[in-house]
Amino acid sequence: MHRLQTLLLPRLKSCAALLALIGLTGVARAQEAAETVNRWGLGEPASDYGYRFTDLFWLITILVGVSFVLVLILIAIPVIRDRARPGHKASFDHGSSLHDKQVTTVISVITFLVLDAWVLVIAMQDLREAYWAYPDGDDEGVYEVQVLAQQWSWNFRAAGADGEFGTADDILSNSELVVPVGRPVSFQMTSKDVIHALFLPEMRMKKDVNPGDLNKAWFQANRSGDFTILCAELCGFAHYQMHGKLTVLEQDTFNEWEQEASKLALAAFDSEDTESQWAWDWEQ
Amino acid sequence: MSGDHIHPEPTSFLSKYVFSHDHKVIAKQFMWFGLIWLGIGGIMAMMIRWQLANPGMPVPAIGEFLFPRTNGVLDPATYNTLFTMHGTIMIFLGLTPLMIGAFGNWCIPLMIGARDMIFPLLNMLSFWTVFVGGCVGFYSLFVPMGANEAGWTSYATLSTTVGAQGLGETLWAVAVFLIGASSIMGGINYMTTIIRLRAPGMTWGKLPLTVWALFLTSVLNVLFIPVIGSAMILLFLDRAVGTSFFTPASLMQGGGGGDPILYQHLFWIFGHPEVYILILPAWGFVCDLLSFFARKPAFGYRASVGAMTAVTVLSAVVYGHHMFTTGLSPMLGESFMLLTMIISVPAEILFFNWLHTLWKGNLRLEVPMLWAIGVIFVFGLGGLTGIYLATIGTDIFLHDTYFVVGHFHLTMAASALFGTFGALTFWFPKMFGRRMNQTLGKIHFWGTIVPLTFVFCLMFAMGYAGMPRRYFDHTSAEWLADLQHMNKMATHAAFLLGAVQLVFVYNFIKSRFWGPVAEENPWEVGTLDWSMPTPVPYYNFKEIPTVHTGPHEFSHPALGEDRDWIPMTEKLPT
Repeated sequence: MHRLQTLLLPRLKSCAALLALIGLTGVARAQEAAETVNRWGLGEPASDYGYRFTDLFWLITILVGVSFVLVLILIAIPVIRDRARPGHKASFDHGSSLHDKQVTTVISVITFLVLDAWVLVIAMQDLREAYWAYPDGDDEGVYEVQVLAQQWSWNFRAAGADGEFGTADDILSNSELVVPVGRPVSFQMTSKDVIHALFLPEMRMKKDVNPGDLNKAWFQANRSGDFTILCAELCGFAHYQMHGKLTVLEQDTFNEWEQEASKLALAAFDSEDTESQWAWDWEQ
Repeated sequence: MSGDHIHPEPTSFLSKYVFSHDHKVIAKQFMWFGLIWLGIGGIMAMMIRWQLANPGMPVPAIGEFLFPRTNGVLDPATYNTLFTMHGTIMIFLGLTPLMIGAFGNWCIPLMIGARDMIFPLLNMLSFWTVFVGGCVGFYSLFVPMGANEAGWTSYATLSTTVGAQGLGETLWAVAVFLIGASSIMGGINYMTTIIRLRAPGMTWGKLPLTVWALFLTSVLNVLFIPVIGSAMILLFLDRAVGTSFFTPASLMQGGGGGDPILYQHLFWIFGHPEVYILILPAWGFVCDLLSFFARKPAFGYRASVGAMTAVTVLSAVVYGHHMFTTGLSPMLGESFMLLTMIISVPAEILFFNWLHTLWKGNLRLEVPMLWAIGVIFVFGLGGLTGIYLATIGTDIFLHDTYFVVGHFHLTMAASALFGTFGALTFWFPKMFGRRMNQTLGKIHFWGTIVPLTFVFCLMFAMGYAGMPRRYFDHTSAEWLADLQHMNKMATHAAFLLGAVQLVFVYNFIKSRFWGPVAEENPWEVGTLDWSMPTPVPYYNFKEIPTVHTGPHEFSHPALGEDRDWIPMTEKLPT
């Protein structure tokens, strides 16, 4: 330590100057950065079940935060109070008495109930009432979308005006998806090549898209607007560019758009173009 | 029975230092090997952080040399290779050789009172197999058509010929297979040694907890490395021979057809126990170090052993939590969620025992002790944040975001690394007969734990804000571009973290060759390894000692005033 002091003290002035310089550039940088928006959190969810993620996240955060502060206190007290010093002796305790075992068991059970079981019960509810409560195909108003992922874009197919998949008026789109507000949107998804994952962050929805297998997912938008589509599973070197746009329209606007888009699709249909004729019967 | 397989001390340089059968030399080989790879993996991490904060800017200092074709700028494929190999190297070539290879070899025979491992030749083969594996892995970076770009998990079909044409992925599979084979050899050797070569009186209830942890690690290695081994064989066949274990029929030109999800099951059946393979030795070090430096018996020895054993057993049945978004059936998903929550109970017991061991001790806050307390801190953070990921309701959003990256770096990377630093600084005087500089050690500790906590906690915020992992450039998507300020902050802190490691390198190398000569038992600990002269003689024990006392009988009331510890070979005064 002494050597360090003799090394640093004569250079104190230059050290201070250096620190000041770093500080100043920091300020300049911060001013520059202030012009761009810096997001810290996550906006309001845009899907009906999205609030469930936020609620559960912050419940866990409170539980975890309290536990961690307790751990810190339990580390800090002995570190400050029980430091080795002349004349000080550690207590001799193997922690193997019946009493110690009882205390350990009780604390473990309480921690499990508070930290784990509570969260588990809510999570089970969320899964059964929301994430895994896939809308029934017979339900009126379910908007069905077939997804074919590929390196590196999303192909979407909606049934169009006739409500049948695999017909000439299917609405096909690439990396852009238009859906109605207030109706369940149900996905059936597969991939052409590698595993992708359809990630709609504002909807709090994510599901892997596997080749050779149909996966399903759903959400229901609670407001109109433009949202984000991302790929969440590493799918090759352009993985980071496999994003798209999700547009949620009010019901009236959506109906107009659907009719129009279906008409355009019918006009543009090319039976020679087998590449674009992927589709499957909607699996119930 | 007690390790009488005495073989003559070799005299030639090759058989003494290179192809040595001596567990102490092999331990040091593993140690230097692991440290070098840790450095390489660390440099890769720095390049990854550079790219994330400054997309499209040439990597300073080493970029021009490493990527001359792009003037030092990383391209997406190279970036993918970097995070793939960073993970592979840190797990298989950095931490595993250091914790299990180096300290498994060093601690087990010395702490149980054996003259060597039970299979010295297998022990040597274990090192040279991982060495060859490391060379194959390194070579895979330079082959035509590219190195592995599919992530350390290398999910099919991105890792089959559908997604990766190059030789690099194939060589990666070979390298992982070889490294795994080495771990199996080590595991068999450690288990057999611990079962067969314990000194008289060294009962299972008197084993230092480090040895217990290494024993359980070996059990996991022997049970689960074969699973990744078979996955690698299947992947190799898919790539080299044209089979289709992991490629679905819809993608096969000439018939056949398998399932890419099969790969995920195989990978995680191994992959989750692997987390515990890395964390168990660190837990063992912490259990012992806390007791040694708090001058107090390890609280609840039996409960700790039970907890570690329970974790070992349960680790086999929780792997599904890595696949919550894969499309598991709801019943499987819920079962894995419940099982994952249950595995937190033994971890909690272990935690209470650690905190209890500190309580009312006589704490000597030397460098190894700081690292041990550091493990409690980072493992606390990492373990608690595991709850978000075990809960499917929150995992659906957080899966494959930076939240996961922060979580697993704290639990298995930082905890394992801190445990390794604790072990390195603790056993250094016995390994090399010299002492490390304490001031530099403390600077290194604080310079590591502060930026490290900052970086990985910031990653929780990034993940909560929805930033996906394994993205070459987060500014490419509008919704993520406004998170770039966090990326920049994390990179600054990560560079500081990287720079502070140079203090360790300097301290380690300088102390190794020029440090002050250490006493034989500088920490005043009673375990058998510290009863040895320094340097430890070739046969370790001239006479196999008889053990009378447990490893943690510190501050025993019968010991009197002048010392608070007792060698395991002495009887406690009555």
